[in-house]
Amino acid sequence: MKKRKKKINKKQRIAGLALLVLLLFLLGAMALSLLLGSVFISPENLWQSEILWQIRLPRVVLAALVGLLLSLSGVILQGVLRNPLADPYILGISAGGAVGAAISIALGAQFVIFGLSSLPVTAFIFSLVAVFVVYKLSQVGGHAAPETLILAGVALSAFCAAILALIIIVSGSLQTIYFWLLGSLASASWSNVITVIPYALIGAGIAYFFSKELNALLLGEEMAITLGIEVEKTRLMLIGAASVMTAAAVSVSGLIGFVGLIVPHWIRLIIGPNHRLLIPVSALSGMLLMVVADTISRTILSPLEIPIGIIMALVGAPFFLYLLRRRRIRGK
Amino acid sequence: MTVLKVEDLVCGYSVKKPIIKGVSFAVNNGEFVGIVGPNGSGKTTLLRALIGLLDVQSGTITIGQHKIQNLERREVARRIAFVPQMMEPVQGFTVEDLILLGRTPYLERFSFETDDDHDAVDWAIEKLKIENLKDRQVTELSGGEFQRVAIARALAQEPKIMLLDEPTSHLDIRYQVKICKLLRTLRTNRSIVATFHDLNLASRFCSRLVLMKNGEVIAEGHPDDVITPQNIWQAYRIKVTVRKNPRTKKARYVLLP
Repeated sequence: MKKRKKKINKKQRIAGLALLVLLLFLLGAMALSLLLGSVFISPENLWQSEILWQIRLPRVVLAALVGLLLSLSGVILQGVLRNPLADPYILGISAGGAVGAAISIALGAQFVIFGLSSLPVTAFIFSLVAVFVVYKLSQVGGHAAPETLILAGVALSAFCAAILALIIIVSGSLQTIYFWLLGSLASASWSNVITVIPYALIGAGIAYFFSKELNALLLGEEMAITLGIEVEKTRLMLIGAASVMTAAAVSVSGLIGFVGLIVPHWIRLIIGPNHRLLIPVSALSGMLLMVVADTISRTILSPLEIPIGIIMALVGAPFFLYLLRRRRIRGK
Repeated sequence: MTVLKVEDLVCGYSVKKPIIKGVSFAVNNGEFVGIVGPNGSGKTTLLRALIGLLDVQSGTITIGQHKIQNLERREVARRIAFVPQMMEPVQGFTVEDLILLGRTPYLERFSFETDDDHDAVDWAIEKLKIENLKDRQVTELSGGEFQRVAIARALAQEPKIMLLDEPTSHLDIRYQVKICKLLRTLRTNRSIVATFHDLNLASRFCSRLVLMKNGEVIAEGHPDDVITPQNIWQAYRIKVTVRKNPRTKKARYVLLP
């Protein structure tokens, strides 16, 4: 019995240590990111610098929050839909959000709701409408099977892409819409940060709260039921949470791809599929990756900004393939 | 003591065409009940109903003192464990991680697994004599090894009843016997209900057999009373003769030429 106690503590200590190191890396990256940019801020002006406090800091914080939202949403959806290709956008969120944003851009609507400009609000609402439609359409007899959900998501995305193309042609605002689609944190502000924080906190809480269910689902839906999980309720709850989290991220940063698909896979390859660890580690890694990628995107060709999605895919895809191959070779 | 009682059970995948058409039987503590019958006779469907994967259309399933409909899923899971015919091995899980999932019905929301949970896992590992596999990746196991791990996972649930769907059907004869012997030792303090295709194997190891055809029970009782030429003709439409195994004294069928 003595030996056993020691062993648990050791496992938990290692996990705790890993999280602490990640957190330190994240804080370090954020601090570094604050100092880098097209304008040099001298150390003596640090505390009064407008650029630092009103432009860079909200942007760095927003990058971290979006990273958290997208990576956790990816972990949740890959777990619930039991599909390795699932990402935050698989259920039509990106397609809905894009149509919402395009409508807002095309109409040039400049109304303000709850202190937010119109684009994030329409993108948010359209994102959620899209998921809601997908979920409702997939439901047969109170049961929404994962494969049906994914296929319905793909179909709705195709439909939305057509509408998006129409809007672009009719309105002639190709460039603005295209840049929004590529995803960027350039519009970061404190009000964006404040609107996104509750989603990040509550979303992270829900994800962790349901890690037991996500673990049981690794064995398949039926086995999860025999382990005492209310699968239908769990799925509704988790898809709802992931959708709202993604919609919040999309509304402030456009369609930043890759984070939500790749981060959960990376982390799973490194630490295994146990969600008790997978969730906190993915959250921190998503934040770290996003902060680093955003810093690169705005400094590498400064003063020009490269959309963050491009950086993400250019650096992330090869690294992911490397991890995948290394594991295959070691496994066999 | 009766731990599981099924009365006039009707269920299936649609109300118009039930698969199980009025089945009754009871399982006592310490029994190893084998459910046998031809393909499509409803063996697997019956097991799925007993674990609550299918809704009961009419009749009752009683677990201990409670009707299954009145128990929460978590409560059912603490009483009955299920070993499916095929279970997906989870990428990246060790044997110990997988068995620990059997503790799901006992876990509280925010706490990590307790010492009790780890003790239950160790106990299940010891019962199935798989200490040597403990730290192996589940994806690297052979069929026979994985089946023992799957049973250990169910045992870690500390169930009163273990249901197994064809636990031996894709194993070689050495593992078929090994698994059956293990199941026979596991029935102390709990009951085992398993479906079988191999009648001689079921007859050799089970304490009681239930023979099904077309969603109904056509014979039930001691293996010697169930494995008869008449019953086998009725269920499978093949002609056999039944002999006693000279050493175990259990009935076994022999195909007629």
